Amino acid sequence: MEVTRPALVFDRVGYAYEEAPREAVSDISLTIAEGEWVGVTGPTNAGKSTLCLLAMGLAPHFFGGRLKGGVTVLGKDSRQVSVIERSAEVGLLFQNPFTQVSGARERVDDEVAFGPECHGVARPEVEARVAEAMERVGIAHLAARHPMDLSGGQLQRLALAGLLAMRPAVLLLDEPTSQLDPAGAAAIFDVLAGLHQRGTTILMVEHRLERLCELCPRVVAMAAGRVIADGPPDEVFNREAVQERVGIPVFTRLARDGALPRPWPVRVGDAATAFAKSIA
Amino acid sequence: MAGGLSLYAEGTSLLHRAHPLTKGVLTLSAIALAFIAPSLWWVVGILVVLLALVTAAGVLRRFFAVALAILLPITLLLLAVQGFANPLNRTVVFALGPIVYYREGLAFAALAALRIACLVSATFLFSFTTRPADIAEALMQRGLSPRMGYVVQSALQIIPQTLEMAGRIQDAQRARGLETQGSLPRRARAYLPLMLPLVLSSLVATQERAMALEVRGFGLKVKRIARYEFFDSTLQRALRWALALAVPGAIVARVAGWR
Amino acid sequence: MPEIRLEDVRFAYPGGVDVYPEPGLTLALGDGVTALVGENGAGKTTLTKLLIGLLRPRAGSVTVQGEDVAKATVAAMARIVGYSFQNPDDQLFERTVRAEVSFGPRVLRKPVAEVERGVAWALEACGLKGREEVHPHDLGLSERKWVAIASALAGEPQVVVLDEPTLGQDYPSRERLRSLVAQLADMGRTVLVVTHDMDFVGEACSSTVVLSEGAVRYAGPTAAAFADRDLVDEAGIEPPHVTSLARRLGLGDAVSERAFLAALGR
Repeated sequence: MEVTRPALVFDRVGYAYEEAPREAVSDISLTIAEGEWVGVTGPTNAGKSTLCLLAMGLAPHFFGGRLKGGVTVLGKDSRQVSVIERSAEVGLLFQNPFTQVSGARERVDDEVAFGPECHGVARPEVEARVAEAMERVGIAHLAARHPMDLSGGQLQRLALAGLLAMRPAVLLLDEPTSQLDPAGAAAIFDVLAGLHQRGTTILMVEHRLERLCELCPRVVAMAAGRVIADGPPDEVFNREAVQERVGIPVFTRLARDGALPRPWPVRVGDAATAFAKSIA
Repeated sequence: MAGGLSLYAEGTSLLHRAHPLTKGVLTLSAIALAFIAPSLWWVVGILVVLLALVTAAGVLRRFFAVALAILLPITLLLLAVQGFANPLNRTVVFALGPIVYYREGLAFAALAALRIACLVSATFLFSFTTRPADIAEALMQRGLSPRMGYVVQSALQIIPQTLEMAGRIQDAQRARGLETQGSLPRRARAYLPLMLPLVLSSLVATQERAMALEVRGFGLKVKRIARYEFFDSTLQRALRWALALAVPGAIVARVAGWR
Repeated sequence: MPEIRLEDVRFAYPGGVDVYPEPGLTLALGDGVTALVGENGAGKTTLTKLLIGLLRPRAGSVTVQGEDVAKATVAAMARIVGYSFQNPDDQLFERTVRAEVSFGPRVLRKPVAEVERGVAWALEACGLKGREEVHPHDLGLSERKWVAIASALAGEPQVVVLDEPTLGQDYPSRERLRSLVAQLADMGRTVLVVTHDMDFVGEACSSTVVLSEGAVRYAGPTAAAFADRDLVDEAGIEPPHVTSLARRLGLGDAVSERAFLAALGR
């Protein structure tokens, strides 16, 4: 990969929420280059969502708490930029799509327009962006519906469309497809792949290890608030500490249980090759 | 399906397309005039105009479905109570043994019922042809701050949202065996299991929404851009002024002895 | 005799179209673990709510364990069906995990000894042992979800419905869930799992029902559920990861890791 300027830099970051006795994340140092697609995974309470909140600036601006070290996004220090200012360049998709809609708009297309309008985007440009964002995530046919009448899966697409219409350079996604059926999830990952190709930086929290390995060239594994491994998925999931504390993808476990030689594959293609070799 | 608290019915009539302010002024002045006008026939006239507009807006069927449910019982009650018991009653209309029905009470009830009919018709006419969001939008175009505009818009949706949340919570507790209907002690027992999750979930939702709004740039100091151009015209402006002036005019006329 | 039987069931939400088109939904489920899969909006959650009487069909009949749901109150059905909803925060209100988990059997006025036995088992099975006295809202989302699942199990219901239990759950939680449903099946219970997680379906569910646009498109052993590729596409589902690998290697349609390794001869 060609060297570009970093989109996200975590420099020895520690963060504790207001009144929390312990830090939610500790000693995080990560540099993510512009255009990278990084997957983040780990057990509950590993600090994955906190990582997203830190990158957005909601921690500490919204939550208060104690921040150690520095978080720099697109060259700007978190302490110096408000969340609202950062929203021009950085988008965050929350785990819960129900609370991500504005609660003020009565049509899906108006809801998608909310962000660009807040940013003072010119009217014809707003229309164009709204149409494009709805088309991309596959909700164009719902344009006239009331956001409250949508299912969880449809709301999740709507929330993503609302972010895409703001054209962020960096996307932070906290389990972006949790509410979707497999076909719907695959469609959203196609959208993300398209954005990745056009240079958007993506940081994505995902529990489904197989998806993570298939999609993300780089995986960050977290546990108990710390990064325990960071690198290409094949490398990360061949580490014993990761297998023990984070989990092990299906193909990797099959290779282990099928007594294949190490390193074990993490993607279906590599697994097919490895098993074919062992059968022969 | 929740659909918001809106009564709005999709349509393309002149009234649907009219500026929200025109409709707002029309509604308020029609109600005011109906209550200021001194005699029955003036009020009948206003009601006829309103019903003509309801018909023109293509929402007559919907209108009757909702309005009659409200107006019929009120009218019957007024006619009965006033006709029998109004203190001004003198002139007998009919008598059934000891029960006597009077003309003065009937006239009073008819006027009151017609005024209420105007109130209900004007309100529904407005609700059926105007999106709630457009009211806030029109006000923001006239200088209301976006923050206040958001408050107006979200306030219109908070009830259906809370009802939906309450419905989910009730389902969850009933599935655990909790009886939520029936006798008073039974309902009292269901109070905490229903209220606590509702309050906590609402608090969490409010916090999450506040974050989500920041993430979308809400509150950024930029020049606000109108979301839609509402259809306005010289005729509408003239109509708004005329209606707005008619109300103080009618009051002055009443004071001066209009009967 | 099937534990759950739906016959020609029709249902529509107020102001909406029929969820189950002509001639209505017909389905019979026996004991063991059954997965209910299909695209968003296929009518899965509606079906589960019909089982416990939270929704009433417009036509047709629903029978659970021989009980005609139309004639029973939701509270009466709650003795037979333990139901865990997607969002735990819709139900948590007690001050401790133990009180929360025992709430269901207590309002059903079960004998104290029975309540204690059921609660102890549920807490253990859901990994909440040692957390009994914690305030549920001091737990993370994943653990709160386990509290909700434990609440559904504490009354020792014969039928268990789990709506999206793997949603947002981490790897160890999904592993625990697999062993939990296996345990329930061993105890002779009927378990119905609504899920989008096909790996979980392949590993943990012996039968599968595929719903698409309100119609049953497949009902039978999970091993054959993913064989019809057109159906898989139409219903918005996908085969488990292990199945994709098995197919690439020409090892058939193995849906679980065990089946895969057996086909491989290891």
